[in-house]
Amino acid sequence: MNVKNIFKLCVIGSLGMATLGLTLAFNVSTAAAHGERSQEPFLRMRTAQWYDTRWNPQKTNINEEAMLSGKIHISEDWPRAVVKPNRTFINVGSPSSVFTRLSSKVNGVPMMTSGPMEIGGDYEYVIKLRGRLPGHHHIHPMLAVNGAGPIAGPGGWMDITGNYKDFTNPIKLLVGGTADTETAGLAAGLFWHVVWGSLGFFWIGWFMVRPMFLIRARVLAQEGGDELLNDPVDRYFAFAMLGVVFALIAIGFFYTDSQYPYTIPLQAGEPKIKSTHLKSDLTVKVLAADYDVPGRALRMTLQVTNSGEQPLRIGEFTTAGIRFLNKVGVANNNDPSYPAEIMAQDGLHIEDESPIMPGETKEVKLDSRDSLWEIQRLMDLVHDPDQRFGGLVMSWDETGNRHINSIAGNIIPVFTRATAG
Amino acid sequence: MALFRTKEIIAASKLPPEGVKLSRMIDAVYFLPIAYLGVFATFHMHFDLLAGDWDFWVDWKDRQFWVTVTPIVEVMYPGAIMYYFWTFYRQPFGATLSISGLVVGKWITVLFAWYWWANFPANFVMPATMISSALILDATLLLTRSWMLTAIFGVWAFAMVFNPTQYAIFGYSHQPVVVDGQLMSLADYMGFTFVRTGTPEYIRIIEVGSLRTFGGHTVWISAFFSAFISMLMFTIWWQIGHFVGQAFFWVKGRRGVMSRMNDVMIVGTDEFALRHGTPDGIAPGHRVTTKTAATSLS
Repeated sequence: MNVKNIFKLCVIGSLGMATLGLTLAFNVSTAAAHGERSQEPFLRMRTAQWYDTRWNPQKTNINEEAMLSGKIHISEDWPRAVVKPNRTFINVGSPSSVFTRLSSKVNGVPMMTSGPMEIGGDYEYVIKLRGRLPGHHHIHPMLAVNGAGPIAGPGGWMDITGNYKDFTNPIKLLVGGTADTETAGLAAGLFWHVVWGSLGFFWIGWFMVRPMFLIRARVLAQEGGDELLNDPVDRYFAFAMLGVVFALIAIGFFYTDSQYPYTIPLQAGEPKIKSTHLKSDLTVKVLAADYDVPGRALRMTLQVTNSGEQPLRIGEFTTAGIRFLNKVGVANNNDPSYPAEIMAQDGLHIEDESPIMPGETKEVKLDSRDSLWEIQRLMDLVHDPDQRFGGLVMSWDETGNRHINSIAGNIIPVFTRATAG
Repeated sequence: MALFRTKEIIAASKLPPEGVKLSRMIDAVYFLPIAYLGVFATFHMHFDLLAGDWDFWVDWKDRQFWVTVTPIVEVMYPGAIMYYFWTFYRQPFGATLSISGLVVGKWITVLFAWYWWANFPANFVMPATMISSALILDATLLLTRSWMLTAIFGVWAFAMVFNPTQYAIFGYSHQPVVVDGQLMSLADYMGFTFVRTGTPEYIRIIEVGSLRTFGGHTVWISAFFSAFISMLMFTIWWQIGHFVGQAFFWVKGRRGVMSRMNDVMIVGTDEFALRHGTPDGIAPGHRVTTKTAATSLS
């Protein structure tokens, strides 16, 4: 190795050390989200429309129960590019199994396995959880759609305190007794792995104690080598090993069978869940919509008709789990526990704030305007292959009843201030 | 009287004592760091890509796909490795080496990836073990000394004993439980209770298909089917072992003709030098008159 090569290696080594040093110098923080912002806007806005999501309570001890609940509207404007929700599963988006899931009900029906959902349907889910791993966790409801992937709902923070060592998750068996899902079958599994592993290594060891490769290859290459290598003691050993293996298999099988006389196969059915439908006295038609890129606003022109008996006021527009509210929405639907980072309390603006009177049809200009469009990466709408938007418009009558309309429509991007109008 | 024929074998190898000592050092270096670690790393990757989820999760271990897929995938590598160890060394531990290596790899994954990193309990991600099947396969090869008979009888038993072996480990998980009025096996419930964000329930490929008849004895139908496909796979992979494991090389003769040499042991001998010359052009010290045992090792 000449001086030049030594110098090169020194330079490369120094660069490597410098890189490591810089890495340590930066503030390295824990990644705590699930990439929900990286999902394309058309996927988040026009598939599962999440609302009324609750993380309750937000602080839990180990072994204590918590609830993740809310509602999903399956958008009528489901994108062509996404596989239809013929097989879906209500899931929890969490960093590993920080909670165990005790029960999951959709419209009151247990959803342990996956099943179809109806486009245009409305579903209320309640997921019962038990605190398992201490920490500060970002928890999402999630709708997994076969062929389309998981569609993350809004994420909220839940804290679990205590010590993991205290965690137990007992489940009552149908035939009596309980099993703890943390430890059930562990001892038997380890025992049999040790037994078979020991036997396997003993078999290999039987041949390892003698010359293994070079010597045997040289002998085998000679005439009669094959016969010489066919040691009778190995044949006896192989017969004995076969006997031991079959005997152990039989012992393990029949012993286990006697331990668990009542067993069932894995269950692979599907729940049949009837959907409900959104109720509203308001009819909403999207006349036009544009997305003001520099202004970070979705501007909609809607034709609304009130077919009810009470005046209605629009108070909220929610899409992709992100809520844009005005004073009406705050007064009627303010949940202080809803994560502030996905809610704009002054994010909804109406040109004419007068109520929509019974029997009235009028044009409403509705702007949902907030930096959340950028922060939550919904502005990437302009890069989508399907330039449409979707969401839920919520309005309230004078008695506080909520009316929800699912809307969707074409969207035209406005790229510059000059054309922003 | 010695237990083994070791002395006769060493004598027949015609190696001097220092050669014997060196060969044992080669055994140690070659076997553990190279053969064993190499096989278990590559086999583990191969297995996880083809049958990983059935092995990872307790709620994937069904009567149809798990029983069918696992033996088929686990017999592939042993087929090739058995060819190599048997053909060149008459060593009957190719299957046990491959599968015990695979199990070691699986346990490393269980401890470091699933338990330590992802926080799943070990019972939920307990792997299956086919070391029992591997021992049957190796013993069959040793006793029959025929890969064909091993493929027919050994591989058949290899697949058929899969389910009874695993039952001792996973039988508990088929106990019935009732949750919210729904009947589930304990395994289903464990799959439900341990949240897997990226693995929704419908990902499971279980209990789907037509391997059902004979009064619901699905598992044995699946095992038979698996055994037949495993025989085919073993044969194919034995031949793959033959293809990639042939000991030959190409040399250029004095007249410039390329020829295939099947005897790798001839390299460095006088006869080789006599036939093909030496890199430094120095002629061998004496002329070799007897024909060497240039039999094909392949």
